[in-house]
Amino acid sequence: MALEDYKADMERCSQCSYCKWIPLDHVKSWRFAKGCPSIAYNNFLSYSARGRFAVALSLLNSQSNYTDRVVDIVYKCVTCGSCDVSDKICRYNLEPLEMMHELRFRLVEDGQLLPQHMAVIEHLRKEDNMMMEPRAGRGDWAEELDVKHITSEQAEVVFHAGCRFSYDKDLRETARTAVTLLKNAGVDIGIMGKDESCCGGKAYDMGYKGEFVKFAENATEAWTAAGVKTVVTSCADCYHAFNRLYPPLGAKFEILHTVQYLDRLIKEGKIKFTKTVPMRVTYHDPCHLGRQGEPYVPWEGKEKKIKGQIVVYEPRKPRYNGAWGVYDPPRDVLKSIPGLELVEMERIREYAWCCGAGGGAREAYPKFSNWTATERIEEAKSTGTEAIVSACPWCERNFTDAIDTTGEKMKVFDVIELVQQAI
Amino acid sequence: MALSREAYQAFEGIVGTDNISDDPALLDSYRYPLSHTAIHIGPYYRVYTPRGEAVLLPGSAEEVQAIVRECNKYKIKFKASSTFWSAWGYPLEENTIQLDMRRMDQILEIDEKNMFAVVEPHVIGATLQAEAMKVGLNTHIHGSGSSCSCLASATSLGGLGPDTNYMGHHSENLLGAEWVMPTGDILRVGSIGSGLGWFCCDGPGPSLKGLVRGMVGMNGAMGVFTKCAIKLYPWPGPATLPVEGKPPAYKAVLPDNIRVYTLGFPAWEAWADSCYLIWEAGIGYIAHRQFNMFGRDLKGAMVKILSDPTKTLSDIEELLDDPEVQKMTEEMKRDYQIVLAGMTPRDIEWQDKALDRILETTGGWKVQGMLDPDLYNWALLYMIRLGHKNLNLVYGGGYDGCFGLGGTPDFATSGPETIPRVEEATAFKAEWEKKGNIVATGGDAMMGGIGGMGGGGHAMWESFTHFDPHDKASTEGTLEFFDAATDYGIKKGWGPGMEKMNAYARGADGRSTPKEIRERILSAAAQPEAFRYQRKIKETFNPNDLGDAYYRTLDEPEK
Ligand SMILES: Cc1cc2nc3c(=O)[nH]c(=O)nc-3n(C[C@H](O)[C@H](O)[C@H](O)COP(=O)(O)OP(=O)(O)OC[C@H]3O[C@@H](n4cnc5c(N)ncnc54)[C@H](O)[C@@H]3O)c2cc1C
Ligand code: SF4
Ligand code: SF4
Repeated sequence: MALEDYKADMERCSQCSYCKWIPLDHVKSWRFAKGCPSIAYNNFLSYSARGRFAVALSLLNSQSNYTDRVVDIVYKCVTCGSCDVSDKICRYNLEPLEMMHELRFRLVEDGQLLPQHMAVIEHLRKEDNMMMEPRAGRGDWAEELDVKHITSEQAEVVFHAGCRFSYDKDLRETARTAVTLLKNAGVDIGIMGKDESCCGGKAYDMGYKGEFVKFAENATEAWTAAGVKTVVTSCADCYHAFNRLYPPLGAKFEILHTVQYLDRLIKEGKIKFTKTVPMRVTYHDPCHLGRQGEPYVPWEGKEKKIKGQIVVYEPRKPRYNGAWGVYDPPRDVLKSIPGLELVEMERIREYAWCCGAGGGAREAYPKFSNWTATERIEEAKSTGTEAIVSACPWCERNFTDAIDTTGEKMKVFDVIELVQQAI
Repeated sequence: MALSREAYQAFEGIVGTDNISDDPALLDSYRYPLSHTAIHIGPYYRVYTPRGEAVLLPGSAEEVQAIVRECNKYKIKFKASSTFWSAWGYPLEENTIQLDMRRMDQILEIDEKNMFAVVEPHVIGATLQAEAMKVGLNTHIHGSGSSCSCLASATSLGGLGPDTNYMGHHSENLLGAEWVMPTGDILRVGSIGSGLGWFCCDGPGPSLKGLVRGMVGMNGAMGVFTKCAIKLYPWPGPATLPVEGKPPAYKAVLPDNIRVYTLGFPAWEAWADSCYLIWEAGIGYIAHRQFNMFGRDLKGAMVKILSDPTKTLSDIEELLDDPEVQKMTEEMKRDYQIVLAGMTPRDIEWQDKALDRILETTGGWKVQGMLDPDLYNWALLYMIRLGHKNLNLVYGGGYDGCFGLGGTPDFATSGPETIPRVEEATAFKAEWEKKGNIVATGGDAMMGGIGGMGGGGHAMWESFTHFDPHDKASTEGTLEFFDAATDYGIKKGWGPGMEKMNAYARGADGRSTPKEIRERILSAAAQPEAFRYQRKIKETFNPNDLGDAYYRTLDEPEK
């Protein structure tokens, strides 16, 4: 699809502004009713899905040209997809998130780039990671970890650590724990270690589709060569890339997030808890695991009209609106941990507030990204819990950094860490 | 005409660099397509409201005041909007700045004992309702739904909705307002103006409610409201709506003292009689012909789709063949939805009994299919939160209303000939539907409240017409149909309908209607004197004419 293909959506957007809020049915308070971090922070209409439809249309119709402001509008969005869910409560046929991606692809094509993104992408091209770290250190996280390397040994399941877990020294223990838990539960698991590369998902979200395709093709090739059937990751961004973005390029692997695997193993009795974890926690749904975590459904078809002017698709088109994202497995895992009490925030599941790390915002707009995380910490605090738990290292990093700036007492965990504590 | 650098800097000095922009693309997100909803003129394919000179995001009444003073100094027009879902809120002319009120978004107070809330412009129906429910209260939600500004509909535009029967027209609910007048002076209208609190918009104190609000509102053409007080109503339900289900088919299971029914009637006369009896009985927390917005023939299929997360519009045709859906659709032909809210268990039993008696008297029924738990709990949540109003546009992306049969309920349901007006309008539209430019709904996609003011009285129906704003033939075909509907309404003595409601202010190019046309329209109104009087008001309160044609004034003297 090209940006032009979304002109219908741009002209059919009904200006209702639902995209700014969580689904209105779910509004429980004034404080936590907002859904879109971008407009909540920037305020001008243009910083909502509705506004981006209008700005894109203005550009396509040559009513305006690229300016610093336009570049800001296009990139200052965490690509969280909250707008997409709220939009589709009523507008079954619109695709604001897809359009916003296309808009970024177009800006990148046209050389309208953010210097902060360029630096990261430049590095990615050379060193295969989004962390501005050398390629050589990629496998360090797994040092002395007793696990197969699929480049030399066959394994049914490959664990993909992702850039953040590979390089973030504060977090990498979680990845090691994930591998150990799965291995101890009898999973035939391997890693790519130093040969692993970025999934490309973040590059895609930033608008660098070419880079994404390159990484997707390389990973697919490597996994196929190693006879991999299942890919497991503890990173929501990687999960989304493998689950939603790779299949259209031909990848055919079973994709699981660690929380899904752990949930399965706990329910099968292959992981057993021996300790209690007396703690009240709240769970944050990562956007790329939750509302954007729905499986890819192949579709090729075209629009047609019935009853005169009702727009439908031939054949029937799949709808991605967050209905079938990964919400229950992490909750079920947490609820199964003895002593642990799970208390929900107001905005959860498909209408969760974003952590602020996505879409290249953390890299290009640290203040906005940090503010978005702080908002979530505020919401977590309102539940009276002592910790916020997530299933993505990017969320954890953003929350931890936000807490560091505000001096809050809230603790941040990955689901995996709490499972480990109970064993 | 771009703002002078001096003027821009003056505005920037007031709101700060982050809260002003004149970037062309950014300004284009503040232009409203005239091929769209709630335009009530057109639709006009690929025509937009004019680009404002700048957008400002004021953060306080003082900032608004300072902006308005600068506007007077530089003779720049200004237009404030809060939630931006209607054509009324956008500039009509060049040399206009747009004020986006979203930074002023606080619920300043909920007075539980005296049952009112004080809100800023960007408080929406959903947030006020959620907060009010926590203390056993509820707010009127305007017919455009809970995404819209409470203040905009209370102070400035329209004001009726599905719950109006019980919770009043929003003009009735306005208990006071802080008004930055077009001159830049701030006036607190009503009892608040005398320092007596927010209990009455008519005083004691400056009693200008008739001037600033009236029935239709000043549509943002005469100053800016920076806060207002709104009357709240009892809510005998839970403090938080217990919403469940997968999107978009959310549902709520509520206690048994809150019930929702879809009522069907054997004839339009019976339908109208039931409205009078409902008013007499004093029941009907919410009462509205809502789901008929999908059309007489399609609504059965549509409610099935909307209450099932696996279904999409692609399921319509299959559902239309389903005998169960067909039966329900037939039962719902002459219908409305009603929510009963009992303040006590005895109250709800009494209300339900009263409703049964009304149905017995009129020969009506509770549509059985809508009592299926999935549909029931979906409809209950839908009606109470009114958070799916964008469904008006689900079919092709555009809708607007035509005809607009208003008056007592039997104005629509009876006719000078033996055919009820609603059926005449239906037959007329059904013929046009055959051309394929508008959605074939069965002719009747009329929607509206059974009580357009508190306690009943006055009902108004809008005949919804769905089209595709991306499709030239559809948009232009809709315009042709609307023009024909206007002619038909005039011929029938109903007058021009909703489809031309905005014609007095905005023209086919999205800009101010030329003065001669405006004067012609306004002088043909039933009460042109009102507009001559409003001219005098404008001269007094808005001497530099910084508003727009949405404030109806007539220069032409009486002939
Ligand atoms: C789908 C749909 C359904 C509708 N159904 C109904 C209905 O059932 N009943 C009905 O009465 N109307 C209805 N309307 C029209 C309706 O009155 C307005 O759309 C409504 O008031 C809501 O909000 P808005 O987002 O348009 O408000 P806004 O865009 O904020 O503005 C509405 C008007 O108020 C003015 N305004 C807003 N804020 C201020 C302020 N702070 N100071 C001064 N002026 C201000 C604006 O200039 C504009 O003229 C409907 C509209 C739509 C789009
Ligand atoms: S993706 Fe998220 S931040 Fe971006 S416009 Fe949508 S809701 Fe806002
Ligand atoms: S929710 Fe969808 S239709 Fe409504 S304004 Fe946003 S993008 Fe447009």
